[in-house]
Amino acid sequence: MRHFSAHSIALVAALTFAPLAMPQAAETQAKFNAHDLSGVWQFAPGGGGQGPGDNFPPLTPWGQAKYDANKPGYGPKAAPGGNDPILKCDPMGVPRILFVIWPFEIIHIPGRILMFFEGQHTIREIWMDGRKFPDDPDPRWYGYSVGKWDGDTLVIETTGFNEKTWLGAQGQPHSDQMRTIERYRRVDHDTIEFNLTIDDPKTYTKTWNAEPRTIKLKPGVEIPESFCVASEEEEFAKRIREPAAR
Amino acid sequence: MNHKDTKTQRQSGSAVRICFDSGPLCLCVFVSLWFLTASASAHHGNSAYDEQARVPVKGTVTEFVWTNPHAQINLDVKDKNGKVVNWGIETNSPGILTRAGWTRRSLKAGDEVTIILCLAKNGAPIAYIGSGDPGTKVIFSDGRELDFKDRTAQ
Repeated sequence: MRHFSAHSIALVAALTFAPLAMPQAAETQAKFNAHDLSGVWQFAPGGGGQGPGDNFPPLTPWGQAKYDANKPGYGPKAAPGGNDPILKCDPMGVPRILFVIWPFEIIHIPGRILMFFEGQHTIREIWMDGRKFPDDPDPRWYGYSVGKWDGDTLVIETTGFNEKTWLGAQGQPHSDQMRTIERYRRVDHDTIEFNLTIDDPKTYTKTWNAEPRTIKLKPGVEIPESFCVASEEEEFAKRIREPAAR
Repeated sequence: MNHKDTKTQRQSGSAVRICFDSGPLCLCVFVSLWFLTASASAHHGNSAYDEQARVPVKGTVTEFVWTNPHAQINLDVKDKNGKVVNWGIETNSPGILTRAGWTRRSLKAGDEVTIILCLAKNGAPIAYIGSGDPGTKVIFSDGRELDFKDRTAQ
């Protein structure tokens, strides 16, 4: 009798809690298309924070001089004030824009993938039509990006950068010889695994494999209007940043 | 080349001192705070502020500036001699604040509030509150609070 009762209790418990458990199971097993990254996403905390990290390879003399001139608000050289280019609303560029603390939307359109960033309200385009890189691209803040699918991994290669951006908030420098390779692999409905390789022989003595990062889906989030407006940033500097840095 | 974030080192030192005799639970809290702080500070860095301390400052809102990439609260505060000083308080972007439940109308001139904040290190009447510094928040005279928890986070 006692044996029967135990089974009964287990059965009742299973029937009672099953409806509660089912939606959760359904959520965790939500279907997804690994080649469709549409949606609003955000880098999860970790790795190098707002940049590709501090574990960069030894700098060349040219890279060291550039790093020495950068005065960031984060990292081993952090100090009030500084000369971070974004304090004047300069474009953050690739890869820095990826790592900021705001979400971005991935939009698939024929022949291209667009990334629409809340940070600076910026659109980046990645050509997916099989084209080759231009022979002599104009130097750009965001470079020239060409993507392709390698199995279930989106591989984005970017060249044609100017030398005006930092790679992250810690002031990591780069040159116009930089070539980046981003890899995005959607491993479940809510998660993309991200890897970044930076090859810049003018700045770093070796290829830099940044710390892997995770990107999480943010369902229901809209990208608000979020321009960095130079006049507003100037007012902010006068009212807050400069008095706090004196 | 391995560097450590100096801010993280500062906070690690502080947290370790507080947690020294408190065991694994405190270690979890410390690690959580480390991740929060390392990931969600102002976009240009917070090295101008003392992020190891949270200080309550009471005053009257004179303006709530809802601009990118930093919203700001201007606050009239009486100093110890009774003189009113207008403080400038930096906070997160409207996008982050929106996801934490704020709107551009969350604060208005005349609101009496206490703000738990991080002071500028140089003693200027400037301060920071935001998602990078857990525990910072606005408390209204009726007890309502505005904090920085992301209500859209999974």
